[in-house]
Amino acid sequence: MAKDITIFTTNTCAYCVMVKKWLGAKGHNYQEVNLDQHPERQKEAFEVSGQLAVPVTVITKEDDSKEVVVGYNLAKLASAVS
Amino acid sequence: MADNKEVLDATAHEVWDVVMVGAGPAALSAAVYTTREDITTLLFEKGVIGGLAAITDWVDNYPGFPKGIAGLDLAENLRLQAERFGAVIELGEVLSIADKGDHKELDTTSGLIKARTVLIATGSDYKKIGVPGEEEYYARGVHYCATCDGAFYRDKRLVVVGGGNSAVQEAIFLTRFASHIDLLVRGDSFRASDVLVKELDKHKDKISVHMQHTTDEIVGKDNLVTHVVSTNKAIGEKVEFKTDGVFIFVGLSPNTAFLKDGKVELDEIGLVKTNHELETTIKGIYAAGDVRSGATMQIASATGEGATAALKIREYIDDQNMGA
Repeated sequence: MAKDITIFTTNTCAYCVMVKKWLGAKGHNYQEVNLDQHPERQKEAFEVSGQLAVPVTVITKEDDSKEVVVGYNLAKLASAVS
Repeated sequence: MADNKEVLDATAHEVWDVVMVGAGPAALSAAVYTTREDITTLLFEKGVIGGLAAITDWVDNYPGFPKGIAGLDLAENLRLQAERFGAVIELGEVLSIADKGDHKELDTTSGLIKARTVLIATGSDYKKIGVPGEEEYYARGVHYCATCDGAFYRDKRLVVVGGGNSAVQEAIFLTRFASHIDLLVRGDSFRASDVLVKELDKHKDKISVHMQHTTDEIVGKDNLVTHVVSTNKAIGEKVEFKTDGVFIFVGLSPNTAFLKDGKVELDEIGLVKTNHELETTIKGIYAAGDVRSGATMQIASATGEGATAALKIREYIDDQNMGA
């Protein structure tokens, strides 16, 4: 089960909208880091994902392990938050 | 009128009147029409609601918006309009469709779904060019969505590949981030509309256009892209373009892999064949929008085809109800 979920997004990213919509539909709370508003955190998004892409969803589990899902991938998201 | 209906999900009906595969402009428009006729309507979307329109920076050629509209906003408006009348959108994937005569069975990530009719409106995705480095540097310098990933290239150099509307429009969008863009066009002229090409000309301080340049290889170091190897076809010489990232817009590839059993006939490039009523080779299964063979790949055309398909679906259901 997810203890904390953080999503890195940008203003114009439609896939980011979908991740937020999916998490909302499944009843998960999340924190959003908008990289257009906080460009200083781009490096953090890159370091955590290894990719220059959004959305990046970081799921922290009960045991404090982290799982990172890049993009809008329903199968990976479902598995990561379960 | 069927306004303010309760929120339903894919299990709301044992047999849906219509299941739409995809939730882009074609399906969402069709859903506005079907739901207003109280035709129970379920849409499956495995990607972005609004399809490619949603990831397009700005739409200037969709009627009714004299100043244009952001693709994401247009997609959201289409969704709200469809849901207003009772369309149900399931975030999941249709894996296959089986024709059972009076109904169809869809194997989906949400389980087996039954429908009297099906509308295939899965659209297309951007094609890959298939050159060395493209897969290797995917999302680490190679991208197909400027509105998603452009923000990572503030004050960086970019290469944009393509000469059609998407390439030109997204290159212009990327000027808000990049310090310089090399636009590589394989042909000797743009396929993009004249309006966009004129708009491009206003950005010549940031965008250098290279006609008759192929994209041969994307090269990198330490997991990041460093340059693109190209051939100037006019003189037959290799050229290198230093860059931090590559955005590729070289045409569309139809989303029809789930039809691989071959029962719904496809054309030679994988688009769904239909008759003039937008019915496929299987009765009760229709197609509309960019996935349809003969489609003009425009948002306005897709919404029009969606409306037409919806009216044909209504006729089919009416005939079925009357035992025709």
